[in-house]
Amino acid sequence: MDEIAEAPSGRGWRMLRHIPGKLRIGGGIVLLLIVLAILAPIVTMHSPTQINVVERLSPPNAVFWFGTDEYGRDVFARVLHGGRLSLAMGFAATLITFLFGVPLGLIAGYVGGRLDGLLMRAMDVLMSFPPIMLGLLILAVTDPSLWKSILAVGIVYVPVVVRLVRSRTMELVHEEYILAARARGEGLAYILAREILPNAWPMIIVEASLRVTFAILLAAALSFLGMGAQPPSSDWGLMISEARPFVNQAPWIALAPGFVMCIAVVGINLFGDGLREMLDPRLKSKGGA
Amino acid sequence: MSGRPSNARLLEVRGLNVSYEGREGPVRAIEDLDFHVDAGETLAIVGESGSGKSTVAMAVSGLLGSEAQVAGTAELLGRDVISAPEAERRRRRGVEVGIVFQDPFTSLNPGLTVARQVTEGLIHHRKVSPGKARRRALDVLGEVGLQEPEQLLELYPHQLSGGMQQRVLIASALMCDPKFLVLDEPTTALDVTIEARILDLLDDIRRRRGLGMLFITHNLGVVNRIADRVCVLYSGRIAEIGRKTEVLTLPRHPYTKGLLASLPVLAANRERHSLAPIPGQMPQPGDRSAGCVFRPRCPFSEARCEEPQALVRVEESQSVRCWKADLVVDLPWPVERRQRVSRKRLDDETDTKPLLVAQDLRKTFRGAAIRKTIWRRRFGIPLPYQPRRVVRAINGVSLDIMEGEVLGLVGESGSGKSTLGQAIVRLIEVDSGKVLFQGQDVTTLSQERDFRSKAQVVFQNPDSSLNPRRAIGPAIARAVMLHSTVRRADMRSQVEALLDRVGLPRSFYDRYPHQLSGGERQRVGIARALATRPRFILCDEPTSALDVSVQATVLNVLADLREEERLSYLFISHDLSVVAHISDRVAVMYAGNIVEIGTTEQVLAPPFHPYTEALLSAIPRTDPGTAERSRIALRSDAPVGGEATGCPFSGRCPRRIGHVCDEVVPPVQTGLAGHRVVCHIPLEELAATQAAEDPPPNGATRQRDASGRR
Repeated sequence: MDEIAEAPSGRGWRMLRHIPGKLRIGGGIVLLLIVLAILAPIVTMHSPTQINVVERLSPPNAVFWFGTDEYGRDVFARVLHGGRLSLAMGFAATLITFLFGVPLGLIAGYVGGRLDGLLMRAMDVLMSFPPIMLGLLILAVTDPSLWKSILAVGIVYVPVVVRLVRSRTMELVHEEYILAARARGEGLAYILAREILPNAWPMIIVEASLRVTFAILLAAALSFLGMGAQPPSSDWGLMISEARPFVNQAPWIALAPGFVMCIAVVGINLFGDGLREMLDPRLKSKGGA
Repeated sequence: MSGRPSNARLLEVRGLNVSYEGREGPVRAIEDLDFHVDAGETLAIVGESGSGKSTVAMAVSGLLGSEAQVAGTAELLGRDVISAPEAERRRRRGVEVGIVFQDPFTSLNPGLTVARQVTEGLIHHRKVSPGKARRRALDVLGEVGLQEPEQLLELYPHQLSGGMQQRVLIASALMCDPKFLVLDEPTTALDVTIEARILDLLDDIRRRRGLGMLFITHNLGVVNRIADRVCVLYSGRIAEIGRKTEVLTLPRHPYTKGLLASLPVLAANRERHSLAPIPGQMPQPGDRSAGCVFRPRCPFSEARCEEPQALVRVEESQSVRCWKADLVVDLPWPVERRQRVSRKRLDDETDTKPLLVAQDLRKTFRGAAIRKTIWRRRFGIPLPYQPRRVVRAINGVSLDIMEGEVLGLVGESGSGKSTLGQAIVRLIEVDSGKVLFQGQDVTTLSQERDFRSKAQVVFQNPDSSLNPRRAIGPAIARAVMLHSTVRRADMRSQVEALLDRVGLPRSFYDRYPHQLSGGERQRVGIARALATRPRFILCDEPTSALDVSVQATVLNVLADLREEERLSYLFISHDLSVVAHISDRVAVMYAGNIVEIGTTEQVLAPPFHPYTEALLSAIPRTDPGTAERSRIALRSDAPVGGEATGCPFSGRCPRRIGHVCDEVVPPVQTGLAGHRVVCHIPLEELAATQAAEDPPPNGATRQRDASGRR
């Protein structure tokens, strides 16, 4: 009995010690990027918008670590400040995706029947568009602006999340504790939020962490096409777009944001994979203490 | 049993040790096992979950993976299996030893025909041509009692009933003419009537072929039915080994005594008393002491039990791992034999009115029958699978439950008993019919909230009845809060009081379900049901997933609560002895119909409905006198559901009297004091023939004219 009583803390410690390497490396990268983006004004003395005609198109050197662009602006400072926007867009869009996707998935999976059929067909319609097309479509009907592109990126990935949460919910619906909750007269909202959601969380968190990379990439792509961030503020996608005429002359202007974006995506993917390894119920041993 | 062709030793296991690499060093699953099996003999290894019995089966059949560290020898036909290289083990598996696993539903590959699965061993091991293998398969399928094997070969597993699947598995194990069979709980997933038929078949095959069998089971009744010798395994060590008759009549190890004492006894005129559970639970393989592993749970333990115990021969063929065996052999398992109050006594105290009345409930599940016809019409070819038929899960059931009464509901899987239970507490909607609770129709929504608090459910599966992400305390507290006005400050004490009531320590408040054993989780489920102060509890197979020693604890808790609170239960189980133990009245359900209902005494004595009679005769008992008892042979493995026009049981009924059974719905015959039997045969005739045939002879199958299946 006493051993069992001590089990939770013991388990907790063991879990901490057994954090997968992927999660540590990925988490480190993501954390570093976020800190650099937030502390951008402190990390670099240069302003991202300071025009310096004398130093224009200079290659990377001791003063300008990633060189300068066609207006002589510091590429390093611009990448860091652009990171703020890109990362924020990625996270915000993912948040929107899950804000819509999770409740819809829960309801579709739990209620089933005609409502489920209707919802899922609507999701199928959304899914049948290529993401970039759908994003463009949403933005094309109105004037482009930052918050709209965030919303567009968020909506694009809703169907994926709905499907995922729905299938998990359908697994859980047949558990006896759900029946028990119904038998004592719990309402729909309680059962979804307090009985099903906690058991779907690990999967949702893992999925969310991987969705962030998709969102960052799509947001960058939309900015590249001029539908996202608007000059003079800049994110990685817009930076690459603006650097396009100078790729032969000064490749560092395009390479720097691209390179950082790669690191961000790889880091977040590592983080998500590690999280999956740690939380996935299929990898965890079933049963009691 | 008699008639052994020779005493040739088929299997000799010496000093078998199996351990796995754990986080804190090696974990020993099996320790120092010695046993042997002769030709024509069945050795049963009996133990509760976690005793290591399946590991023994795996070791003997050479199936243990490389992660297991195995020491010792297991000589099969004189050659060691343990030290043999994997290639040799694979060659011998299927040729020298046939293996049948527990779950027929997952042991057969759903994507391959029966023909493929039965013949592939022969083709692979013996290099026999497919045509020849097929002819052999027809013979063996016939031998295991399957009709029309020619057609059967082309079917897929899901088209067979569970009993047929298990016969196919046994057939494929026999294809290469092995001398030895390893059977790992081969009947556990089956209904008792089918289990009885499979056990008969296995016994028959053993006798005919002179096989040696290693039979793994948790069920002492099955042991009694099939084994010559028994090996009682506890926590990876042999507690007791010996001839079945000796071990079951005169158990010497306290654990064997406890196991036998915790079983509910099935008898018509029995004293009502509490069961004798074994306290505590089996130690995990990691934390075993050097001394007797059973010591913490043993009522006879002393200081000397902490010393290592040796397996000592006490009789010609019986050995026991307990130094005290000779001292305790005549002592009964100590138990506080609590006399149960019968409902009659309760009746006298207050006048009884029905608490819950179900009137003509009906529920039908429909399958994909329409799609089939469209497919046929359009493409002109039949579907490769059978479409699901219309299933009448509940077919006009009426019953009532008195205040303070326990109504048992017994039936095999698919009989609709769980559907009926869920319909009564309104977890599923019925097609028609009414449920009156305390005189009010609860099918209308306005009463729902009140009804929800007064009618609660205890579920079957301890792994899924509690939300794994919620601690025990809050889970119970939620149920308390929902239906009462307990202040937040008093909540904890309220929940702790509920934990007291089901005999759990208060410290469980902050635990999570995975930290509890199955029996403990089941008791938490009971506490949660009690939290709303119900008058009625639906117990849906509450002990089916538990080991017998734990089952006794849970049954005792339920019986005590019912007396203290005057609760009413609808107690659903497939196990008639459990139902009979706890119930005042018993209803027997078959294919959506209640075929017999009456007091427990009435249902357990003639006149029976022929189905009740078959159920009773199929239950494997533990008293050795009943082992040789002949059983009623049902005419088919498959319960025939669907749209029967007459009696739903007529397809399997051994007492079928003619076409009237197939075509006319049988009348409800009322006997003494509310005893009702739904059958064409008059009660007097049933009573007379059944009493005369008690125990009924094996040839109870009359009227073999109609085919078993429709």
